[in-house]
Amino acid sequence: MKKLNKLILIALLLSFLPGFLFAKGQQEKPKVTFYWALYDGLTEDFRASLQDAFMKANPDIKLDIVPVPWKNMHDKITTSLAGGNPPEISVIGTRWLLELMGLNAVDEVTSYVSKATLDNIAPGAMEAKIKGKLMGLPVAAGARIMAVNTSITTRIPMTMGELEKDAMAVNNPPKVYGLIMPGKKHTELTDFAYYLLAAGGYFFDINSDGSYGKCAVNSPAGVKALTFMNKLANVDKVVQKGYLSMDRMGSHPVFYAGKAAYVFIGAWVESAMKQANANFKVKYAQIPPFAGNKSTPLIITDSIAIFKDAKYKKEAGKFLDFFYQDKWKAKFDELVGFPPVTISASKLPQFQTPLYKALGVAALNARGWPLMEGWAEYSDIIWDANQKVFLGQMTPKAALDEAAAKIDKARGM
Amino acid sequence: MADRVIIGKRSKWWNEETRLAYLLLFPAVFVLVAFMFYPIVYVFLMSFFNADKLGRLRAFSGLKNYKTLLATKEFWKVTGRSIIWTAIGVFSKTIFGLVIALLLNVEYRGRKFSRMLFIVPWASAVPISAMLWMWVYNPEFGLLNYTLEVTGLWKNPPVWLGKPISAFGACMWVDIWIGIPFMALVFLAGMQSIPSERYESAYIDGVNSMQKFFYITLPGIGELLMIATLLSSLWTFNDFNVIYILTRGGPANSTNILITSIYQYGFEWLKFNTASVMAVVTFLILSIVSIIYAGIYFKRERE
Repeated sequence: MKKLNKLILIALLLSFLPGFLFAKGQQEKPKVTFYWALYDGLTEDFRASLQDAFMKANPDIKLDIVPVPWKNMHDKITTSLAGGNPPEISVIGTRWLLELMGLNAVDEVTSYVSKATLDNIAPGAMEAKIKGKLMGLPVAAGARIMAVNTSITTRIPMTMGELEKDAMAVNNPPKVYGLIMPGKKHTELTDFAYYLLAAGGYFFDINSDGSYGKCAVNSPAGVKALTFMNKLANVDKVVQKGYLSMDRMGSHPVFYAGKAAYVFIGAWVESAMKQANANFKVKYAQIPPFAGNKSTPLIITDSIAIFKDAKYKKEAGKFLDFFYQDKWKAKFDELVGFPPVTISASKLPQFQTPLYKALGVAALNARGWPLMEGWAEYSDIIWDANQKVFLGQMTPKAALDEAAAKIDKARGM
Repeated sequence: MADRVIIGKRSKWWNEETRLAYLLLFPAVFVLVAFMFYPIVYVFLMSFFNADKLGRLRAFSGLKNYKTLLATKEFWKVTGRSIIWTAIGVFSKTIFGLVIALLLNVEYRGRKFSRMLFIVPWASAVPISAMLWMWVYNPEFGLLNYTLEVTGLWKNPPVWLGKPISAFGACMWVDIWIGIPFMALVFLAGMQSIPSERYESAYIDGVNSMQKFFYITLPGIGELLMIATLLSSLWTFNDFNVIYILTRGGPANSTNILITSIYQYGFEWLKFNTASVMAVVTFLILSIVSIIYAGIYFKRERE
């Protein structure tokens, strides 16, 4: 019996041995893991070719570009940090940076990326520079614009009032809808933001020292914005059928299918339309403000962060230098449709089109998301307020008052 | 004498045979402790501590997390909804499962093919099934509304995932659709183990179909019915995928159940204190259900 015990023990140990040896063999080659956000327009071919090209140029480094749907990115990063196994680098919403810094999870980019790469980035794109430290390399920065399907209408509304009239003039559901409006909660609060900014409002009061004061979504501008959205959807009924069950990814294909006149959208519109085989022409214009307000589009910036507890940060920096060459980064920008953040790429001919001109104008007066901890929760609360109004459960004023009170309470104000 | 007793006890727990048993059990026990018990204990601990945004314990807070959560209306709404979700889900799966099992138990041509067909929803990955149904429910391009409109059955069908009641019902249906095959297969296995002589005797005595079902079939699969409904209750209560993929708890939180709320608080909002209390409540509810079931089951077995 003793012999049998010994035999089993030896067999167990032997069964583990190849695993140990394999693991040791793997450790010899540093492996850089990169959480790669699946932006609309990005192709698998591009991801794979970038990965292969880098490993060919750097045979001593293994690169794993992990595609992650954008709506799962925040959760994926959180779980990897909680599990003590963060990637070397990841695309992040720049607005998540304060939260990540609060967790002491990210490192200064300047310690790992070359000066040549940093000098090639437009200073205006460095939103991730916090207290003088660059905590993320800008990867995408794009203001939102309005796309008009010219096979339905050639009218470019200059105010929200005109947009309503123009949308009603062409609205003929279910063949043609006046306007696209997602009503299902998704990762970003973009849709309410377009109307809130167009009404001259913002999410929070800004104190004299630049810090955020109380929640201001229930300001007259906020109420005006939500009232207008509700009117478009439930009174004028100019938005796509079933808007309440459609998030951004679900509703934009209705525009790509040529069934809607207007959509507020990002720079990815052209590549997404190409992928959807859309065969109509599009004009680009600014998201109109409400009468008496100035045009204030939303701008969204994303960055690449380097994680403090990752093993191969030096190698990750090497990859970023590789990726930020025009050959790769300009192609990336072209695919996702974002205006380039690098100075050299912005001069390339492919970025001198009407779309990029419209994006350039939009960026001049654009405002971004609040950079604050807890924004994921607060934007969910505002989303819920929007939906309560769309469902007829509350008035815009009551719903936004409730949301503002909840947010202020959560922030301890 | 005392020494002999101690030696006897030691040898009972530690002899050559038990040593081998321990050795063979060790990998399974290690995996269970590492991946089941440790997380459970950690979640319990977390519910009594202030945790940071990565779930690391910071300071003991006693019952504060519980008091805060139990005082919110939203928590009770979500808990109530979870119970309704489970009750309707398990009841429907049991009824549909029974009906399908009865049909599959009848001798007819193509029975094997039918059995294979019924297992498809169970064999597919739940997220894939949920995504498939998301497209079926799509108001613009979806198969369901298109069919209803084209056939004239419903001129203006609802936006299934856009309104609270229809969204809850639509999610519920997907959960039921996924869960039916398991119930049907378990019941079918039970029905096939009932000796055919009982049905033959009943036939000679002039017993009708309903009487056969209530007096032979149902008692014959009684134990399996209990086990299947218990398992189904646990799975349904913890069904995250369907709701998360179809509605993400919306519209306006109307389809959020405890398990999706735990995810929302924990991994979207990084509020691990609240998430851990909800997880403990879920654990307790499911433990109570399991204990009641186990009690009834073992009592019957003893009888």
